[in-house]
Amino acid sequence: MNGIDGTDRQVKTDEGPPPSLLAVVLDTNPHAWAHLSSTLPLSSCIAALLIFINAHLASGNGNEVAVIASHSHRAEWLYPTPHTTSPSHRSKLNGSTSSPNGTIKIPENPNKYRPFATVEQSLLQNFSALLSSTKEAHLAATPTTLIGGALSLALSYIAKSVLRHSPVDTGIENPLSALADSESSHTARVPLTSRILIVSVSGDLANQYIPVMNSIFAAQRKRIPIDILKLAGDTVLLQQASDATGGVYMKPEQPEGLLQYLMMGFLPDATARRSLVMPSAGGVDFRAACFCHRKVVDIGFVCSVCLSIFCEPNLPDNLCLTCGSYLSLRAAQTATPALIPRKKKKKKRAGGGDSATPGGSTPAGSSTPMHL
Amino acid sequence: MADSDYSIDGEDASDDEYVGPKAGSSTRAQASSGKRKAQATEIPKPRKLAWETEPSEAVANPVEAAEEIDEEVLEKSVQEREEDRKRKRLRKDTKPFQRGIIRHVVLVLDLSETMLERDMRPNRYITMIRYTQEYVREFFEQNPISQMSVLGMHDGLCIRVSELSGNPAEHIAAIQGLRFPRSLQDLPKEPKGSPSLQNALELARAMLYHTPSHGTREVIIVFGSLISLDPGDIHQTIKACVRDRIRVSIVGMSARLRICQEIVSRTNAGDESEYVIATDQELLRELLLATTTPPVIRSTEDTTTTPAESAAALMMMGFPSRVVEDVPTMCACHGNLTTGGYTCSRCSAKVCSLPVTCPSCQLTLLLSTHLARSYHHLFPLRNWVEVSWERARERGSRECVSCLSTFPEVPPEDVDDEEMQDGERLQSKMDGDAARQRRMDKEDSEEQKASESARYECRACESHFCIDCDMFCHLVLHNCPGCLSMLNPASEVQENGDVVMTG
Ligand SMILES: [Zn+2]
Ligand SMILES: [Zn+2]
Ligand SMILES: [Zn+2]
Ligand SMILES: [Zn+2]
Ligand SMILES: [Zn+2]
Ligand SMILES: [Zn+2]
Repeated sequence: MNGIDGTDRQVKTDEGPPPSLLAVVLDTNPHAWAHLSSTLPLSSCIAALLIFINAHLASGNGNEVAVIASHSHRAEWLYPTPHTTSPSHRSKLNGSTSSPNGTIKIPENPNKYRPFATVEQSLLQNFSALLSSTKEAHLAATPTTLIGGALSLALSYIAKSVLRHSPVDTGIENPLSALADSESSHTARVPLTSRILIVSVSGDLANQYIPVMNSIFAAQRKRIPIDILKLAGDTVLLQQASDATGGVYMKPEQPEGLLQYLMMGFLPDATARRSLVMPSAGGVDFRAACFCHRKVVDIGFVCSVCLSIFCEPNLPDNLCLTCGSYLSLRAAQTATPALIPRKKKKKKRAGGGDSATPGGSTPAGSSTPMHL
Repeated sequence: MADSDYSIDGEDASDDEYVGPKAGSSTRAQASSGKRKAQATEIPKPRKLAWETEPSEAVANPVEAAEEIDEEVLEKSVQEREEDRKRKRLRKDTKPFQRGIIRHVVLVLDLSETMLERDMRPNRYITMIRYTQEYVREFFEQNPISQMSVLGMHDGLCIRVSELSGNPAEHIAAIQGLRFPRSLQDLPKEPKGSPSLQNALELARAMLYHTPSHGTREVIIVFGSLISLDPGDIHQTIKACVRDRIRVSIVGMSARLRICQEIVSRTNAGDESEYVIATDQELLRELLLATTTPPVIRSTEDTTTTPAESAAALMMMGFPSRVVEDVPTMCACHGNLTTGGYTCSRCSAKVCSLPVTCPSCQLTLLLSTHLARSYHHLFPLRNWVEVSWERARERGSRECVSCLSTFPEVPPEDVDDEEMQDGERLQSKMDGDAARQRRMDKEDSEEQKASESARYECRACESHFCIDCDMFCHLVLHNCPGCLSMLNPASEVQENGDVVMTG
């Protein structure tokens, strides 16, 4: 788009460490925070988060931050502040001169670094606006949180910021650079490194399985690590998110020490992490949940049409419970022909019902991850 | 895009390409080259793109649509053109079809001397090698539980570049090995001689013969030449391919060939849209990448002669857990000492990476995330619509919902007449629910164009997005940030602006 703008910025950033964008997704699920209130009230969590954000902003000149609340009935921007979309008539007047109605007034405080104050003010104001807009009906409607939406917002924001920093970043965007410009343009630019931190308190996220999975793959493709700080509850989904994207997964024993965990575990950005030994999740539970009973299985039966996972091969009338197609188990049983070379890998093999029961090879029962 | 194929067809294909193919047996290609010009005038221009494999009945009047586009093309700002070009890459048809998620693909590369042509920089061969590597990566990104093999048409023969496997690194190394052999004894495979479509199809057929019936069998040919030097009757081969339910897609260069058209149409139940011509290298890349989308499974009613396209099956799969070890142990796949890995759910053998077939008990081992990676093909995100100034004013949108970048200002009400009419026309179209629905269906299958207000609207949540987010959400994320940010109390599962699969 505006190449001139991009090159201007480049000159500035060439020297220091690459600018880093931190997108924080704060799970503000009221149900879960109500449970936590005795150990870690939401207010002190936000206080700790603000200190953490300030530390991030202070550790690099070009560092940026974005904060999104994943609430029970909506996912909302906390920082930067969106201009509220005003329906119909009000917006008819030219909006450039009239002050946007979303602007946050920052009180002048000579004792505070201005960027810190900006973030703090807008975050607190937007958050209290979000809380006051929450009705009892919203709370009654769902026990969980819109983590899928918040993640999608964060990813799109990051994608756009990366574009803003280097307009011709990937070969996909511009047709001709693929051959000629590739060497010259790529080395000259310092790309924006970005990461996502999810402070999660909610448990079951199974209803957002597909959106969250899509987000994970998008993050994987764009090489955006997703860090998880799990204060309460437990989801295999988020653990897989951090594992797939190379992020940090932490489940503190004592949530009271939140600030400590944030500062020690999550402050280093992608550049710094290369020279650190990051806490690893160790063994990760990758077992899947069957679509029929939500039972965790380690051997499952998969519909070749819609990829639904079932825990047993005997479906009623041999029809897939999700897409209704007729599934022949016979087709899955045909043996590999002998003349195929050893290298050939077959994506199907089954022996009827002989081992339909999940074997004893993995620890039985729960879906809790194995922390070592 | 479709039109350009034809303009090239008539003129550009210099006839000297056809003069004196060395051997006498290239009868097919020569005969077809004779017919070629007559053909170009007879056949109506197909207004279809590579990925639009089903003729959509929703496009009631393609002629009218074409005129509309032509008018608009004339008055386009540079930025709109840019956005136009980007949006072309969006999937044309987001209607849910049953798609063949488990694919078995043989990629056939043309390594004949025509590939030394310099109409692509630095030449066709190097361009193709470069793009196919990217293609293989993207293919496995989109189809993680699929298999691929690479063949090459070289000097009349069909050579095997890589075996059928699900490991992208293997294929990429093999394709690179064509130019830069890994062992010193091997000579690089420089383009040489003539290609043979028959040999390629026969070898591909042999490779795909044993693949299970619930997967697809596809041959994708990158074909730069204008001849095919075949040892026998290629029509017999085509018949055999049809019998074995192999579908062939061809990405040609420079000109359309009658024989290619026939191969594609016979193996795709009369649908010729899988035969596309890349007139420049960017188009070549796009057309290749378009084939990474899993193909639509054709319903079997209309084609009674061919066997069922795909027998759905239940597949047994293992979902292993990762183990962490302090002491290195031997892995079952390579026999190397490694710490950590995945243990097979059935026999507890340790493997290094997933997805893989257990080397000891042959169970398919993968992560549930590998399956989830294909979900966006099954539940695609519906395309967003262009927003007229009128609509933008109505919604009062100022900035992109997901990236918060500001939109261009809505112009004041007294816009010139032309634009007014435009808005009114759209407005009147929107009247009535039925009309709206029809419009949505129409736009679903229409070409995606740039929006005059630089806004794009999700029809489910009515949020407005910028062009960059539009591209990102449809090409990478496959989520609508707007829909997912609002709780829809009616549905338990998040809706996501996806279309619902009808089966
Ligand atoms: Zn079950
Ligand atoms: Zn199914
Ligand atoms: Zn191994
Ligand atoms: Zn095994
Ligand atoms: Zn945007
Ligand atoms: Zn939406």
